[in-house]
Amino acid sequence: MKSSSIDAPILDPRPRRPAALRVTDVTAGHGDHGGCRDITFEVSDGERFVIVGPSGAGKTTLLRAIAGLIPTVGGTVEIAGHDRTNLAPERRDAVYLHQTPLLFPHLNVFDNVAFPLRVRGVAADEIRARVSAVLDSVQLDGFMTRRPHTLSGGQRHRAALARAIVAHPGVLLLDEPLSSLDPALRADIRQTILGVAREYQLALVIVTHDLDDAALMADRIGVLLDGRMAQIAPPAELFAHPESLAIARLLAIPNEVAGHVDDGCMLTSPMGKVPLKAKTACGDAIMAFRPDAIQLLAATAPAAQCTGVVVELRYRPQQTTVLIRIESQAAPITIEAAIVTMPSLTVGMVVGLRLDMDRVSVFPVLQPDSSEALRSIASQTSALSPAGPS
Amino acid sequence: MVLLVIWSVSGEWFFPALSPQRWSLDGWRWLLGGGRIAVAVRNSVVLGLADGVIGCAIAFPIGRAISRLKGWRRYTAAAAIFSPVAAPPIALGIGIQYFVLRLGVGGTAIGVLLAHLVPTIGYLSLYFLSLFVAFDRRVEDEARTLGATARQVLFYVTVPLMRRPIAEAIAIGFLISWAQYALTLIVGGGAVHTLPLEVFSYMRAGSGNYAASSALVMILPPLLALAAARYAAGRTALSPV
Repeated sequence: MKSSSIDAPILDPRPRRPAALRVTDVTAGHGDHGGCRDITFEVSDGERFVIVGPSGAGKTTLLRAIAGLIPTVGGTVEIAGHDRTNLAPERRDAVYLHQTPLLFPHLNVFDNVAFPLRVRGVAADEIRARVSAVLDSVQLDGFMTRRPHTLSGGQRHRAALARAIVAHPGVLLLDEPLSSLDPALRADIRQTILGVAREYQLALVIVTHDLDDAALMADRIGVLLDGRMAQIAPPAELFAHPESLAIARLLAIPNEVAGHVDDGCMLTSPMGKVPLKAKTACGDAIMAFRPDAIQLLAATAPAAQCTGVVVELRYRPQQTTVLIRIESQAAPITIEAAIVTMPSLTVGMVVGLRLDMDRVSVFPVLQPDSSEALRSIASQTSALSPAGPS
Repeated sequence: MVLLVIWSVSGEWFFPALSPQRWSLDGWRWLLGGGRIAVAVRNSVVLGLADGVIGCAIAFPIGRAISRLKGWRRYTAAAAIFSPVAAPPIALGIGIQYFVLRLGVGGTAIGVLLAHLVPTIGYLSLYFLSLFVAFDRRVEDEARTLGATARQVLFYVTVPLMRRPIAEAIAIGFLISWAQYALTLIVGGGAVHTLPLEVFSYMRAGSGNYAASSALVMILPPLLALAAARYAAGRTALSPV
């Protein structure tokens, strides 16, 4: 579901199961930096909701407000159908996990994991059974008597996760859970989180600034910009159709091409005249698209909308892209395209380009961020240059 | 230290002799024989332990509370709690004496303990302030969301995490009381005998071997405390893992 405006609270209208977490118009924090305003969203049991945003957007503030670690200025936080807005953290049924595992060094793994049960007065037999089960779920069943400092980094993360879920919280709040890990461990802990989330049908709210993690872990992604929820959508929809240029930039969509909408359904740009999928207000506009929205063709192919010269090949582990320079009347622009159909490209080669308009977002420059971007792009011709960011 | 040991086993030792003219274990026999000095040692130990434990119990929450203040409030509170320590002991003693006399505990061990607590709380509050400023409060936050009440967090998380600094603080409190002379003399009025008072009286009386053997007994606890503090410092784990 998309919002019509960055200022409007967003509600997902699709029928969902009863919300494990319902955040309504929550405002928390203060000042211009790091606070969040009028945040509204829901998370169902078993759903993984990931919040992304730049530093200072208010992600951690929002998570801490849900957990009750900081007060909310306005709005309500409902967990399992009950209003918990004014309850102490221990009475909210929402566990907050920090970026680094914060195991108690004076307790062994068993006692660490048993902590939430002991403070609730659970009987010893049940504690033993539940701790054993949850340690088994995170592959730590042989580590019960170990002290935290004897565990590896991954084992500490898994122990902290086990401690968080042993009391079956209504919501699990994870603040940058993978950011301190190396790539191999990152994948391991990500799979562990997803595994226990499935097994225990946990409602997860995960804050991250890593888009790969967000895409791999989320059922839905919420984009937090300047303290407001700018868009909520499933990953595929969000990456294909960001609702504003600011969101597109946050999502690291590399191609921005300035143009002009002539008659509401055709955009003229250095890439030629391209038909728009939806009627758009006439005037200046910016197209934003991912590298895989461009089809590379032979320079003479009739389907090509324009041609360009290969200026650089960029090899990455997961995707190889190519920078293509397109000449135009104003000034040349450079765009980044994925190599899918023409693997034998070389620098200096002329290729034809065709845009998949289903995967192109067009933003009228009436939006404040777009007008700023257009000025920037007009002066720089393009966000990309051969020596630009990859 | 060596001089004290030699002096404690001297019978006669007059200028300009470089070593005692006569050796004697009278000082140690008298010390180990009990009597007045034994009472002084017992009083010093009891007062020191009480001062360490009570001072720690009071300074712990004070240091914690001050650490949560920001900016000038923190500095002002820290200065206020430390100001009695900065005052000259005699001036402080006279002020405290008035207070304990009003309470009706002048010249008693309770009065002396109250007097010793004033500098102890000042020092230990700053000690705990420095620890809590560096303390990772996220672990307390996480414990709260795991279901622990504020009281449970204090007793099951914070205090166990700080058990070694707490032990050090008790040792510091003990030593502050152990070495007090002026406050004990002023507030105790000579009725409460502690080891520093005894040592000083022997020195004034010219009983060098008695003073030296008593002084050696006084040195022993600080040495033990220093050794314990060094051991604890290497093992202190204030942070979660």
